[in-house]
Amino acid sequence: MKSCLIVDDSRVVRKVAGRIVQDLKFETREASDGAEALDACRQQMPDAILLDWSMPVMNGLDFVRALRREHEGRKPVVVFCSTENDAEHIGEALRSGANEFIMKPFDADIIESKFAEVGLI
Amino acid sequence: MEETVFREIAELARKGSGQHIPPTKSYLVEARLSSILRREGLSGVEDLVAILNARPDSKLSIEIAAALTSKRTRFFSERGTLERVAKLVLPEVAKRARDGRIRVWCAGGSTGQEALSLAILINEMGKEALEGVQVEIVTTDICERTSASARSGIFGHFEIQKGLSARRMLAHFTRLDTSEWQASHALASQIGVRTHNLMQSAEGLGMFDVILCRNVITDMTKDARTMALLNAARQLSERGLLFLGETESAAGLIAGLEPSRAIRGGYNRNVDAGDLTVAA
Repeated sequence: MKSCLIVDDSRVVRKVAGRIVQDLKFETREASDGAEALDACRQQMPDAILLDWSMPVMNGLDFVRALRREHEGRKPVVVFCSTENDAEHIGEALRSGANEFIMKPFDADIIESKFAEVGLI
Repeated sequence: MEETVFREIAELARKGSGQHIPPTKSYLVEARLSSILRREGLSGVEDLVAILNARPDSKLSIEIAAALTSKRTRFFSERGTLERVAKLVLPEVAKRARDGRIRVWCAGGSTGQEALSLAILINEMGKEALEGVQVEIVTTDICERTSASARSGIFGHFEIQKGLSARRMLAHFTRLDTSEWQASHALASQIGVRTHNLMQSAEGLGMFDVILCRNVITDMTKDARTMALLNAARQLSERGLLFLGETESAAGLIAGLEPSRAIRGGYNRNVDAGDLTVAA
């Protein structure tokens, strides 16, 4: 089973996204900020990462840049999932190493569509 | 909903658009007619039926039939077909295009995502791929309001994320202050939008090299499906190709329309357009 790390400082978002991703047949783990996420990746690199932007300690953008410099850091498919919905933020995320971008609010259909877009399902 | 009310609406739908609404789908009726009910200040579908019985109103009847049709669509739906059309079919058509033009018809194209998806693929192929030949895409829908939406090229926050990658969204759409996204002028200008009922002759739309009629006719009665296919096939150019949805088939419905031997999923005419008939 593929694994997905869900990174968001909101517990509610982690739970909701987690359920949707589990329905897509992923095993899930959670992290509440970029630093925790990096630790989780160092323990075991996930196949997919659903990533918020604004988080304390380390935000999503800094996380993905750091991730891509890690050993095996190119492996996970990174899908941003953020309220920063303007072209500049989206472009910056894609340039920094994200594979896809989901604008919040999202629904299960969008997550499925975006996961299919990047070949996760 | 009372059975008689449902039956009258179902009959109106059948007559107006060929749509078959089974009793199990009666819940769709209230939902899809809600905005007409609101506008007319009516509380229920039975009021609408009473009005039409008191005084037949063909304009309202047409509007109701159109509102009842399914508008469900997304970007890059069944993208294998779209990619085959863009990368295999269009280049071949371009080679024999006599007046430097290729015409594509997205029949039942709803809010325009299918047409825009094809335009995006063509754009990504680059000018040389089609030897400078212009592609004109016409998208039609039976519903006036849906066509107006398609014409605007504006999509809501949820629709813009279904089937469309973030990269393509940034490349071809601009975010509006309303959080909606609007197709670029360059993209939108390749697409013409018309309101058209597949139950009627499509002669006025002209001839097409490619016709996409995907997942549109499945909800129709068999007679209506045949009529829609016949009307569409009559607009196929000599070596034009018609495509249905991946799980749909036109086999045995129209005499003179056969599965293409060259392109999987495509159908072409093996008779003159005027000689196409309903299969016995």
